[in-house]
Parts: sequence; C-alpha cells; structure tokens
Amino acid sequence: RVSSDGKPPKFQPPPKPVIIDRKTQKEERRFLSPEFIPPRGRTDPLKYYIERKDMIQRRKVFSIPEFYVGRVLAVTTADPYASDKSKRFVGICIQRGGKGLGATFVLRNVIEEQGVEICYELYSPRIQAIEVLKLEKRLDENLMYLRDALPEYSTFDVNMKPVPRMEHEEIPVNKLQVRMKPKPWSKRWERPKYNIKGIKFELPEHKMKAAQKWSQPWLEFDMLREYDTSKIEEKIRKELNEELEK
Amino acid sequence: VQDCHVLRYLSKEESGGKTAKLLVGGKNVSPFSKTESAHEIFKEAGVPPKQKVTTFNVTDDALIKPGTPLYAAHFRPGQFVDVTAKTIGKGFQGVVKRWGFKGQPASHGQTKTHRRPGAISTNKASKVYRGKKMPGKMGNIYRTSFGLKVWRINTKHDIIYVNGSVPGHTNCLVKVRDSKLPTYKDCNKNPPFPTFFADGDEELPEDLFDEEIFQFTDPSVTFA
Repeated sequence: RVSSDGKPPKFQPPPKPVIIDRKTQKEERRFLSPEFIPPRGRTDPLKYYIERKDMIQRRKVFSIPEFYVGRVLAVTTADPYASDKSKRFVGICIQRGGKGLGATFVLRNVIEEQGVEICYELYSPRIQAIEVLKLEKRLDENLMYLRDALPEYSTFDVNMKPVPRMEHEEIPVNKLQVRMKPKPWSKRWERPKYNIKGIKFELPEHKMKAAQKWSQPWLEFDMLREYDTSKIEEKIRKELNEELEK
Repeated sequence: VQDCHVLRYLSKEESGGKTAKLLVGGKNVSPFSKTESAHEIFKEAGVPPKQKVTTFNVTDDALIKPGTPLYAAHFRPGQFVDVTAKTIGKGFQGVVKRWGFKGQPASHGQTKTHRRPGAISTNKASKVYRGKKMPGKMGNIYRTSFGLKVWRINTKHDIIYVNGSVPGHTNCLVKVRDSKLPTYKDCNKNPPFPTFFADGDEELPEDLFDEEIFQFTDPSVTFA
C-alpha cells in the first residue's frame, strides 16, 4: 500500500474478540423469575399475556434484581406515617409466592429478640428500592423452618454492607445445616412431605424412621401431576429479552 | 368482550313494558347447537349464531341498528357498572353452607346432629312458612353485583377491568350494564352515545386508564 506520508503505515492492533462477553451475558439472562410462568389451569392465556406486558413495563421503570430464596435483601417502601416517608427493612427471603402481578416474597429478620416477617409484593408501586446484600442459594425452596430454628440463623444486621460479587461467577449454594429449637415445631419438618435438606436433625433414629411412614414414593412417578415448563419458559424468555432490549 | 352483536329491535308496544328493548347476542357458537327457530333471528341480523341472547331496556335516542358489533370501548374508565352472571353451581347443599346456619356443637352429648337445621317452625303456626330456608340446590342462578367502577379498558383485546368481584366462574358469560344505583346517575353522561363504532371516526389508544390509577410507566409512589 502506498501511504500519503511516505512513512510506513501506523501500526493498528487487531480488533479484540468480544465473543466471551456475549456468552456470559446470555447465561446471565438464563434466569427467569418464577412469577412469569403461568400455572396450570383453565384460565385464558390472554390474561397471562397481558399481565406479562404490565410486568415488563414495570420492570423497565424499576429494576427488580435476580432473586432466590435465601437471599438477604434490603427493601425501602414508601410509608405515609413514617417520619422520613420511607421505611427500610432488611431480611432473608424465606419464600416466593404468587404468579403474575401479585407475586410476593416474605422477608424475615430478628430485631431485638423478636422475629419479624414482612410479605412484600414485587410489583407494588410503593416499593422504592430493592438492594441486594448477599446473593446465595439455599438447599430448599422454602425456608419456613427458620421459624423453628435458633434465632441466630435469622438475625442480620440492619446496617449490613452489600457483599461484593463478581458478575460472571456462579451463584454460591449455602449448604448450611440449621440447628433447631427443641420440639414442638410449627410444622413437622422431619416428614418427607416437606423434603427439607437444610436441617441438622438431632432426633433419635426411631423417630426419623417413624416419620418415613408418611412418605409417598409414588408421587414422583405420577404422570398427571407433571407440568413441563421448559417450552413455555423458552417462549417467555424470548419475549422478555426482546421487550427489555427495546 | 367476545363478538357482541345487536340482534333485533323491539319497540315499546311489541315488547310490552315501559321502554324499547334491544336484543344483544354474546359469544359465537357453532350453528349445530341452536334450533332452527333460533337460526331465523340470527339470519335477519346477518350474524353468526350466538351462545347467549339478552335484552337491554333502552331509551329511544339510543337505538342501534341490528347487526352492529359492540366493543369494549362502549364503556369508559371512571364509569360505574352492574355485572350480572350465573353464580358457580354448588349442587345440593345443606343448610349450614347454603344459608349460614350455625348448626349444633360437636360434642357434649349430641347424637347425630351437627349440621342439621333444628326447628323449622313454631307450635302456634302449625305449618311451615313458604320460603323457609332449607337444604337445596345452591348456585347456578343469576346474581348482580352493583356499582363496580371501571378502571381500565383495553381496546385492542376488548377487555374491561372492573373493581371488586364478579359473580360466576372463570370464562363464564356475563352481562354488563350501566349502573342503576342513584348515587351514580350523573356519572354516565360522557361515554360514546349510542355506542362506539369501530369504523374509524376516532382512533383510541390501546389502553385507556382512569385518572386515579397507577400507570406502570410512572416511577414509584412517594408521599411528599
């Protein structure tokens, strides 16, 4: 090539490959909030489609972070009776319920030796901010047994600082085995119906064997109860990604 | 709102009653499930056979030509509405569930009496009055819930969002009417009169909201 100056052309480094980032981005978006999946029933799918549109609109304005049961969150809601007109509550997420716009999550914390649980709606207009303090998964979907566990497992400092986390790391699974208060409990957590893996049972052997009497091993083979959500999830994920990129 | 069409116009003298009546049909249904005599009414209007036909009492200045389709945009947000539908059928039910009787205590020597009606009349009457609350078939009758506010209307999919609960199971046919309650007499003066025509007079946006409702495009609510 003949250059205008007569000098050799300026060295231009080759373009950096951008492939790696896109792959990790795609894997990040693999997470689909469980309230988008419509439950099995006889209602018109049009209703769920319209609810999803509303949810997407709300998410565009107010970002709802990635979410698992067992995560420590701080939620600020608007309150007309508080002095600052806003209330901040820190807690561990015990369960997520509801589908569509009425999706809720319950946060639990022990404040001054009194256990407090508050149920928030994800899409409520009163919520002003959700901050993630600690991102981790637990072994179960439902942490209701924390009510019967020793209070040290549910206490979290109100002014806790958010734990920094790399963007492309996998979500750590906390395999903590929780110690319980002496029986009686609110529910019989040792029964196989609840299928809890995160408790360290200190009961005698014969009691554990007696609890296995209530096991229903045929449930996992029951075909009428199967609800395969993979295809529905794919469709909804595509919809979501298209809408959020607009 | 699924395929509503006006079927026939009955004048005051024909129908008997104080005002003129308009017959309106609901959801489309296959012609095999309707009798031949019913087919005639639909043929006159030039409309596919409908599952449900209802009458509306209408004043003379609000008459509509048979065959016009009716849309959800006929109602506007902020209006008040009465909704009529057949309640969920519960079958033959006892007196405790049907009428809310208290029944009898569970223990303390009761012999085979826990959910029975008990006494049905007095000694002096020596008869049982008509209309006595007794067990029987419950549900599957028409009931109306009055004074429901319309919050939002979706013109694209023809959906009306209404305040509170509505009788009937999911996907059941429902009759929606302007409210009869005296407190809401003045509110229903603004809407499209006689009805909303989709021929292209005015272009409505896809979603119509009431003023007080929270739009999802706004930021979160704060109390100043």
